[in-house]
Amino acid sequence: MLLSVVSGNLLSKKLRTLLTVAGFGVCVNLHIVVTTVMRFISEDLDMQMQRFTGRLVIQSRSAAGTTGIEWPPISSSIPLEVVERVLASDRVQHSESTAVSFAVLAPPPFATAPPEALVVGLEIGREDAFLAGAPAMLGTNRLPTGSSAAEHEPAPVILGVLAARYLAAQASATTEVKSPIGPIALAAPGSDLEIRGTPFRVVGIIAPETNQLLRSCVVMPLESARALLGQTETVSAAIVTPRRTQDIAELEAELEASHPALMVISDKQLTASARQLLDRTQQFFRVVRWTAVVVAALLITVVMFVAVLERTKELGTLRAIGAPGSAITGMILAEALLVALAGSALGVPISRFVITKALGPDAAAIRSRRIEAQSVGLLTLLGLVAAILPAARALRVDPIVALRYE
Amino acid sequence: MAWLWPKRKSQPKREAGPVLAARGLSRNFRVGASDVQALRAVNLDVQAGDFVAVVGPSGSGKSTLLHLLGLIDSPSRGEVRLQGEATGQLSEEARAKRRLSTVGFIFQTFNLLYSLTTRENVEIVLQLAGIPKGERRKRAEALLRAVGLGDRLQHRPASLSGGERQRVAIARAIANQPAVLLADEPTGNLDSKTGEEVVALLEELNAGGQTVVMVTHNTALARRAKRVFAMRDGELHEVTEEPT
Repeated sequence: MLLSVVSGNLLSKKLRTLLTVAGFGVCVNLHIVVTTVMRFISEDLDMQMQRFTGRLVIQSRSAAGTTGIEWPPISSSIPLEVVERVLASDRVQHSESTAVSFAVLAPPPFATAPPEALVVGLEIGREDAFLAGAPAMLGTNRLPTGSSAAEHEPAPVILGVLAARYLAAQASATTEVKSPIGPIALAAPGSDLEIRGTPFRVVGIIAPETNQLLRSCVVMPLESARALLGQTETVSAAIVTPRRTQDIAELEAELEASHPALMVISDKQLTASARQLLDRTQQFFRVVRWTAVVVAALLITVVMFVAVLERTKELGTLRAIGAPGSAITGMILAEALLVALAGSALGVPISRFVITKALGPDAAAIRSRRIEAQSVGLLTLLGLVAAILPAARALRVDPIVALRYE
Repeated sequence: MAWLWPKRKSQPKREAGPVLAARGLSRNFRVGASDVQALRAVNLDVQAGDFVAVVGPSGSGKSTLLHLLGLIDSPSRGEVRLQGEATGQLSEEARAKRRLSTVGFIFQTFNLLYSLTTRENVEIVLQLAGIPKGERRKRAEALLRAVGLGDRLQHRPASLSGGERQRVAIARAIANQPAVLLADEPTGNLDSKTGEEVVALLEELNAGGQTVVMVTHNTALARRAKRVFAMRDGELHEVTEEPT
């Protein structure tokens, strides 16, 4: 019955209820999206860094970022012959060390993410220096040996799933694969496509369960990349793996001493730098997230206060006929709870839509029922806490004043 | 209408003497810089089965007296005893509990909950008293049939006439078998014919043993009570002769 009073009150003010529910829903949506993106970026960064464990990155000194570390080092440029000398060292594991060229083909889908399509030129046979054993979903994860020398044949490319989707429109053949956002068309292995006017042939698609960098890579022979990017005597960077893991610090010191003009970045420095950048981004996200929480709580407080003031007569009547304080408080809290749950019921699907639209095939990897439940739980709880003040106000309604209320 | 509800398993122990008593009841209100004395040392004994009417002009203190007797207001001095129990020291929650179980209110402006149906308006006090759903529904329907609204169970108050609304309010007021029924100008918002029907209903309830205290400015209606008191300038006097 008291629930009937609550629902009756909500229905009697349809527009206000609708706007409150919508407002709360937007806050829930914002909280879920921001939390999801925060977690995605953090986890993706961890996955990227894991693939560089035990490796060194050599790049030119850069003004990018406060630490001067740019990843991926797109603006870096170092002489090829320097890289060749470094890689010729006996301390280096050759199969997992390579000169590398990077260039952006398509911009990132959101700030702090790697580009949607990123050219990565690698020495043939040394793909693992960058791919670190990432498996192929279709075709192969190896550039065919001798392919760069074959004349009149398009150079091979291995694509990450995002890059394969991005390049599907210009591929001679596509293949459809299932994804969390439904079937998506990818440039098919064996198909031909043009990148900046140069023909390429797709030889494989990297499995998507890796990280954002690998999902967006367009891996091609180093020579093809340099030609494509106009790097006649230079490459972007070098990825160096020591022959013995325990030698990494020694190798780092040796390279720094012999090449003072270059930056030698260890996996730990790379991680620390990325974390620092991530922390700044996360700080911004945290502000957005707490703003959503505060707005949701304020919304409930204001709306419930207005509702209590409007219902002075009803609340006073209930008090006059003997309703205990717990019933009055319960009614106000139940009303706030209904609004919060209805808002959540609206906010959760909106957040799924937003995440899917913004992140495409990555959506399934990052959408989390746990985050949804936590956001709904937190905001609903705060909605209830926010209704305590109006409920206390409702308890103080003087039945005599209410009975005189016309 | 005693047949409307089953016997309580354990009747509350009632002391002999008045079911409702006022002793030296005064109520002052602060209006601006001055104190207004709405009630001046009022004494009143209401016996079980009484039908008491309090008449007086507007502003004489009738409603203030009723609010004090019904424990929705506290006196500045004096005391209200309900079923022999002194109520002066009761907490607000304890007073709400007494209002729910021992006092039934009928208001001039009906004070129904407009989001609820007629039946739900009666059921709500039974729910607050902890009556199980099936039983309270049965009891609410029986009460509404008894006041002539058996065909209006699912109507909302907004679709009822004034007289019908007041009958719903009466059904709600007697739903928890109160020791005393307090009616504040129950006919004040009704035409004379409908007002007459409402008073007839109160008489019928009183004939069934229900104690009734009614305040009204209508002396003709007051004459229908067993005892009549006149309130003037905050003082209460029993009218032994026919009120004017």
